[in-house]
Amino acid sequence: MIARVLLLLWIGGWIVAGFLWAPLVPVLGETTRVLYFHIPAAWVTVLALGWSMLHSILYLKRRDMDHDHQAAAAAEIGILFCVAATISGSIWAKAMWGSYWNWDPRETSIFFLLLTYAAYLALRAAIDPGERRARLSAIYSAIAFVSVPFLIFVVPRIYFSLHPDPIINPRGKLDMDPKIRTVFYAMLIGFTGLFFWIQSLRVRIARLEQVRDTAAGGML
Amino acid sequence: MPTSGSSSAAAVWAILRKECVSEWRTRYGLNAALLFAVTSLAGVSFAVGRLSDRVDVLAALLWVVLLFASLASLSHAFVREVEGHTLTMLRLVASPTAIALGKLLFNIVFLAVIEIVTVPLFVVLMGAPAIGGGFVLLLALGSVALACAATLVGAVIAQTRGRGALFAGVSLPLLLPVLAAAVSGTRAQWMGGSIAPDAKLLGAYAALLFAASLLLYDHLWED
Repeated sequence: MIARVLLLLWIGGWIVAGFLWAPLVPVLGETTRVLYFHIPAAWVTVLALGWSMLHSILYLKRRDMDHDHQAAAAAEIGILFCVAATISGSIWAKAMWGSYWNWDPRETSIFFLLLTYAAYLALRAAIDPGERRARLSAIYSAIAFVSVPFLIFVVPRIYFSLHPDPIINPRGKLDMDPKIRTVFYAMLIGFTGLFFWIQSLRVRIARLEQVRDTAAGGML
Repeated sequence: MPTSGSSSAAAVWAILRKECVSEWRTRYGLNAALLFAVTSLAGVSFAVGRLSDRVDVLAALLWVVLLFASLASLSHAFVREVEGHTLTMLRLVASPTAIALGKLLFNIVFLAVIEIVTVPLFVVLMGAPAIGGGFVLLLALGSVALACAATLVGAVIAQTRGRGALFAGVSLPLLLPVLAAAVSGTRAQWMGGSIAPDAKLLGAYAALLFAASLLLYDHLWED
């Protein structure tokens, strides 16, 4: 309870700070603040996918249904944040580059992540709950894990990037205004906390559903 | 439980032969796939006309046609077993790895047959540059990668409710790196550049997919 209130205050407080305390970047103008939502959302997308794949592999090793709950929950939350990052990025791209979508490498990568998440969830939806669903979706997740890094190498060979943004690239990060940097990192921490909180809720629901289904199965 | 001895080369070879024989008996999988490949080729050809001066576009179109042909046909190897209720029998006589490896080899042969028909037709109909050694290398590496991904996903998909319908959507994320690298390499080859970086990428991806598949085959059937 206390952790949830603290999380709310933390994110709420830093949003206010983003509007009132941190300065604007000259080129970006008012759109500077998208930074505090867009990149943390993209970060959670990657974090959730990694979390989901890690638990899929652990499931195959240990056969504990809890790993399946973790993997499924992370994939669901991941696709939510992936959509959030894609839409906020798309609106930002329209404001800064003049078009919603350019097949920029990062846009391509996030589109690919969306496809991967969607495929994983579509696969789960097509199998009845239980050991088989956990096993088959873990297999898919593990093989998708191989393909993700490849796209990072391949994509830049096909598309050129509009993204080398003075704010975002690793070199530019050092030039970031200290106040902007503080809010940015605080929001990263806040979003990470948000992810783990929603994740814990979703996993609890999955556990309860499993108990319910086992009980219902026992009565039949 | 099948013994570990049945996953030997002999078992894999037996599965491959069985696949080829049963496919040759009806040929409906092969006919459907060839028809599909030629249809999508004709569709592309009618849509864009003759593009012999745009080899960059041709490289992309060729791989899109091959990708679609494999998406339309490669799930067949496992779906056929499930629909014919023969998978249980197969599992009694061979280990999951032997079955999957046999099916993988079959899928590679299957893709090769499709390519032997489709690629020359594409060159003739679309006016693509002549086929060189580098291109054949890309084609071979790309096919192995396609077959590796499609075999594993096909085995998973065959156990779901959607079966064929899900296959394309679920395997696409795994096939996109193949498509991207193969198109980029073919483009380089046809425009006089070096295919080495893309061939290495394709080879590495195929090897990684194969290695991961080998680890995962054991988990395919347990109930």
